[in-house]
Amino acid sequence: MSGMTDESQMTRRAALGALGALGVAAAGGFVMGAPATARAQVLGLNESVQETMKRLFGDRPIKDGEALVKVDFPPIAENGSVVPISVTVDSPMTPASYVKNIYIVADKNRIPFVTRVTLAPEAGRAFMGANIRLGETGDLRAIAEQSDGTLLMVKREVKVTVGGCGG
Amino acid sequence: MADSDKVRLRLPSTIKAGDVVQVRALVLHPMERVERDAQGRIIQKNYNYVNKVIVTYLGKTILSFDTSQGVAENPFFSFTFRATAPGPLKVEFLDTSGGRFERTVDIKFS
Amino acid sequence: MRWAGLVALCAACAGPAGNAPDTAGLPPWTSRAIPEARGEFQVMPDGKRQAVRYRGWSTRDFNFRTYAYDDKRPEPAVQAVTMPAGLTGNPRLGFALFLSRAKGPCTGCHLIPGDDVWPAGNVGPDQSTIGDRNVTDQYLYQVIWDPRVFFPNTSMPPWGTVGVLSPEEVMHLVAYLQTLKGPVPPEKDPDRNPLTRRKPMGFGDNLDPTNNPAVLLADGAEAVWAAKGPAGKACADCHEGGVAKAMKGVATRYPKFVKAYRRVMSIEDFLTVHGPETTGRPLLAESTDNINLSMLIRRASNGMPVNVDTESPEARAAIARGKATFDRRVGERNHACADCHTVERGANKFLGGRLLADVTSGLTRHFPLWRTDRSEVWDMRKRLQWCMTPLGMNMLAADSIEYAELELYLTTFDNGKPLSVPGIRH
Repeated sequence: MSGMTDESQMTRRAALGALGALGVAAAGGFVMGAPATARAQVLGLNESVQETMKRLFGDRPIKDGEALVKVDFPPIAENGSVVPISVTVDSPMTPASYVKNIYIVADKNRIPFVTRVTLAPEAGRAFMGANIRLGETGDLRAIAEQSDGTLLMVKREVKVTVGGCGG
Repeated sequence: MADSDKVRLRLPSTIKAGDVVQVRALVLHPMERVERDAQGRIIQKNYNYVNKVIVTYLGKTILSFDTSQGVAENPFFSFTFRATAPGPLKVEFLDTSGGRFERTVDIKFS
Repeated sequence: MRWAGLVALCAACAGPAGNAPDTAGLPPWTSRAIPEARGEFQVMPDGKRQAVRYRGWSTRDFNFRTYAYDDKRPEPAVQAVTMPAGLTGNPRLGFALFLSRAKGPCTGCHLIPGDDVWPAGNVGPDQSTIGDRNVTDQYLYQVIWDPRVFFPNTSMPPWGTVGVLSPEEVMHLVAYLQTLKGPVPPEKDPDRNPLTRRKPMGFGDNLDPTNNPAVLLADGAEAVWAAKGPAGKACADCHEGGVAKAMKGVATRYPKFVKAYRRVMSIEDFLTVHGPETTGRPLLAESTDNINLSMLIRRASNGMPVNVDTESPEARAAIARGKATFDRRVGERNHACADCHTVERGANKFLGGRLLADVTSGLTRHFPLWRTDRSEVWDMRKRLQWCMTPLGMNMLAADSIEYAELELYLTTFDNGKPLSVPGIRH
């Protein structure tokens, strides 16, 4: 993929190796630039967030990201079907120093991994927004991976409103 | 042929060279959720959901989303790009059934 | 003071002064809705009646008063009862019942202590220190069984009278409530308490096609507008210049009394008769084409003030009937719309996690709207039909005159305010 250095290619291969055990998420195609094709998916049982974090990051240290990672998560979600979120990470986004991945993980989702945004410096800003699903009240995490491999995490509790008498 | 009717993109009407531009994108898609049988076991089938979003600018992939079923139905995504030169910005959504939805916008400076 | 056994008090005294609405002159109406929207029933092989409703909706036959003009059933008779002797309430079971969504839940209206109590409402008084008030078990039992004995016009349902709670269950609740004594621990989380909870933020710009999928569906209806129906004509043949131009201003006058059909009609109602008589398309109420065309037609008036007729004799009569419906207690819960949607009662308070809307703010001008929780477009009628769930009452046909006149009454509060269709809500 043009625009990425050799160093990042190596890191990508290492990351893919770690992701190899991911099952359905990896089967969908974490390979950059290659279109996903239809394939049978083998779905695992519910995965705990600890298992998800282990699979994504192994034993790598994860630092507190409060200084650099700004998350816009609603404190209360009106329903769990559509929860608008966004994340901005303070970063120069130059080839020498940029955010290469932002992960969103929902602790209480049956499959805690929600999305991973992979960025090149051309993105200009380490920013992502998405509408996600939340199964129930619980912590929502944003983990930013910098180009030098540093992992930074921020998490917030999101309360999910379950229907009242009228839904 | 990629189904562009189901995709909407929104960008600012005025873009200047060098701006970091925010793009909002929506694709109509069921994002099928995992179903369980009466005993609570997951029903094994090929669930149809968008699992990849690829953003290409001036021919280079500049960012992508890998997504699970944890993204909402009719998913909305937002991202930025640095507008270095006029040219095409393409957003492609790929799903697990081989579906492809894309829209391209021609970036012009004003 | 002892209450001797069950005494059925005067049923007519139980509700607001019952002047039956004057429905003379209203035509009978055969529904032109899709089968699941007609409020019909089918008899199953075992002889039980089961409702034909939208997929996923309850099929229960709620055997309580409805909005139908010919439904002459009274409210459930008020029951004064004596707490049964020999039953002991279990506070633990009472706590579970208080939270149970199969019952109230009581937390829908009443706050109680507990870090995990989420989300409790404040339509009714906070019960966190009810145990300090030293009221008798008998008093609490009666209030839960049928509060109308003490509070004749209360919003609180008569849980025992209508059979939602059994005597044993009420005993458990009484025992639980009597344990709730102060001091209440300081609130760790301001969102837990409905009085300090942050209000919902909504779902952003309803007219942004990257935010509201309903906008794309409305765009898609342009093809229906332009396509020839079975009779060989398209909407566009008579309504020239594109829908935005041809329909500009039209929706501001709906719902309205349509002389040819002698009844009030919304845009959706009108399409069910106008479609077949012009293009030959059925455009059944609650069909996809009907709802999407309604969005297309209504949004042509976006930004223009709602301007429904409130002056003609027909409009006045319909609005009076619509208001009577709004104030009418119905269903297993014995609620009126007014119980939730007026500021004197529930409006602007939380019902569980939902902020209740005030009818005077105007509740119709953003319909049809996208329901994010359902991934569907709902028109006003489907929203009214859904209210049967919190009320415990059988829904009527989507295009029924009762709903049309109720909708007209609601729309009078939108007069002067700008249309913005499609909306987007939870």
